[in-house]
Amino acid sequence: MKSISLYVDLDSPLHRLDPLTKISYTLVFMLIPFLIPLKSITLICLGLTLSLLWLGRVIKHIVPIISFSLFLLFTIFLIQGLFHPANEKVAFSILGLTFYQEGLEYALGLSLRFINLLCCTSIIILATKPSDLIQSLVRRGLSPRFGYVMSSVLQIIPQMSNTTQVILDAQKSRGMETEGNLFVRAKAYIPLLAPLVMSSLVSANDRSLALEVRAFNAQRKRTFLSEEKVTFTALIFRFLIFFSFISSIVWRLKQ
Amino acid sequence: MKKVIIEGLSYKYPLSSRLALEDISLTIEKGEFIGIVGKNLSGKTTLCQALVGLVPHFYHGGFRGKVEVAGMNTMNYSIAQLAEKIGLVFQNPFNQISGSKLTVYEEVAFGLENLGISRPEMIERTENVLKLLDIYHLKDRNPFEISGGQMQRLAIASIVALKPEVIILDEPTSQLDPQGTNEVFRAVNQLKEQGITIIMVEHKVEKLAAYADKIILMSEGKIVDYDRPSNIFARSDLKKLGVKTPIFIQALQSLGLDKKYPGGLPVTLEDTYKLVVKEYGNDQN
Repeated sequence: MKSISLYVDLDSPLHRLDPLTKISYTLVFMLIPFLIPLKSITLICLGLTLSLLWLGRVIKHIVPIISFSLFLLFTIFLIQGLFHPANEKVAFSILGLTFYQEGLEYALGLSLRFINLLCCTSIIILATKPSDLIQSLVRRGLSPRFGYVMSSVLQIIPQMSNTTQVILDAQKSRGMETEGNLFVRAKAYIPLLAPLVMSSLVSANDRSLALEVRAFNAQRKRTFLSEEKVTFTALIFRFLIFFSFISSIVWRLKQ
Repeated sequence: MKKVIIEGLSYKYPLSSRLALEDISLTIEKGEFIGIVGKNLSGKTTLCQALVGLVPHFYHGGFRGKVEVAGMNTMNYSIAQLAEKIGLVFQNPFNQISGSKLTVYEEVAFGLENLGISRPEMIERTENVLKLLDIYHLKDRNPFEISGGQMQRLAIASIVALKPEVIILDEPTSQLDPQGTNEVFRAVNQLKEQGITIIMVEHKVEKLAAYADKIILMSEGKIVDYDRPSNIFARSDLKKLGVKTPIFIQALQSLGLDKKYPGGLPVTLEDTYKLVVKEYGNDQN
C-alpha cells in the first residue's frame, strides 16, 4: 500500500527504543545548539544524532530530506556572506560579489543547527512507527479523538488517492481527455471533484457510525493492546537526555 | 427470554416531513435469527439503527415509543454503553475499518480498547473471534488489503469481540460475491449456535429463508407481517411490496403446489426436493 508516512520499517535498536525517549531526545538535542550557540556543541549534537540514525540503519534516508533544504541553506550563505552586519574580513570575491568571513561563519553555524534540527526530527519521522508514536501520546493524555484523526489520516489519505484513481479511470474510459498539456490535465480534475468529495463524505459518515457502535465515545478509561516496554537502556538514555538538557540550561544561565 | 422489545416506535429524521418508522411494535426472543425484508426506503436500516441507539442519539430527529434491548431502554443509555449489549454490522465493509490500525488483529481490538477491557482479556477475546470467523491467518495483514468477504468477516469479528447479546447485520452481503456471501452466512450461523440473537436485513431471500427463524416484512416504515419464513414467503402480495419470492417457492407455485399446501411450502433446496419427490415420485423419466 502507498503510504504518506516516511517511516522506514526495520528492526534496529533505534526502532526498538520507545517513542517517548525518542521524542525527548529530539526535543532536547534540537534545543541544545540554540541554548549553547557554540559550533563545537552543535557538531557534537549532530554527530550524536547521525550516529543514532546510523544505528537505526536509516541514515541514507536523510539525504533526500537534507538535499531538499539545500536551496534554503544556499540562500543563508549568500545573504549572510554578503550582508551580515559584522562583515569586515574579505573571504573571497566571485563575479564581482564580495563574501565576508564573519557572515560565512555565522551562516555555517546557522546551517549546522538547521541540519541538526532536520536530523533530530528524522529520528522520529524515519524510525518511529506513527501508530506507536500516537499511542504513546494518547497514553499520556492526548485526546483519543485527536489521536484517531492523526493515525487515520495516514491510512485514509492513501485510500482516497486510490478512489481518485478509480474515478479518473472511469472518466477516461468514457472518453474524457486526461493526458496532454498542463491545461488539459488541470481540466480533467474538475469532473473528478464532485464524485470524490461526495464519496468521501458518505464514507466519513459511515465510518463515524461504525466508530460509534464500536464504543469510540465510551467514557471509561481506555486500555491498550500493545504494552509499553521501557527497557533499562531506555531509562539510562532518558536520564542522559535529561542531564544534558539541565546542564545546557545551567550553562546558559551562567553566561 | 425477550432480548428486544419495541413498543409503539415512530421516528422522523430531522429535515424530513415523513415518518421513517411508524408505530412499530415487536419482541424478539433470545437466540432467534430474525430476517428483515422490504423494498428500499421501507425503514429497514432505520429500524436497525434504532436498536443500537444511533436513532435518535446520532441523528436526533423526532422519536416516540420505547426500544428496549437486553433490558436497557435505548433512550437512557449512550451508544457506547449499548455497544456492549448490541452490535451493528454495516453494508459496506470498507467503511467499517477504523483506519487507525495497521493490522487485522489490532483492528479487532480497537473496540475493546475503547471499552477499557483488560489486556489479557482483550488478547483472549481477539484470538477467539479471529478463529471463530476464520480470519486468524490474516491477523498480521493490513485491514484494507484483504478481500471483501474477509473484510466483512473482520467487521463482524470486531463487533463480536465486544460480546454483544444481539448482533444486527444490515445487508452484510450486498457488496460481496457468492463465495463471500456464503462465508458471512456460515459465520453468522455459528454465532447463532453460541446463543447470540441475530437480526439481519438481506435481499438474498433464499439464504434468509434457509437460515432465519422468523421474518419481519416491512413497507413504508411499518411492519406488514412478522412470521415464520414459510408463511411470509408464501404471501401473494410480496411482489407488490418489493420483495422477491424465493426461487424454490416460485418453482412450487408454478407447479400449483401452493394451493395444496397453503402456508406450508418448504423454503430450502432440500425440502423442496423432498416435496417434489413425494408429489411426483422419484421417476427420472
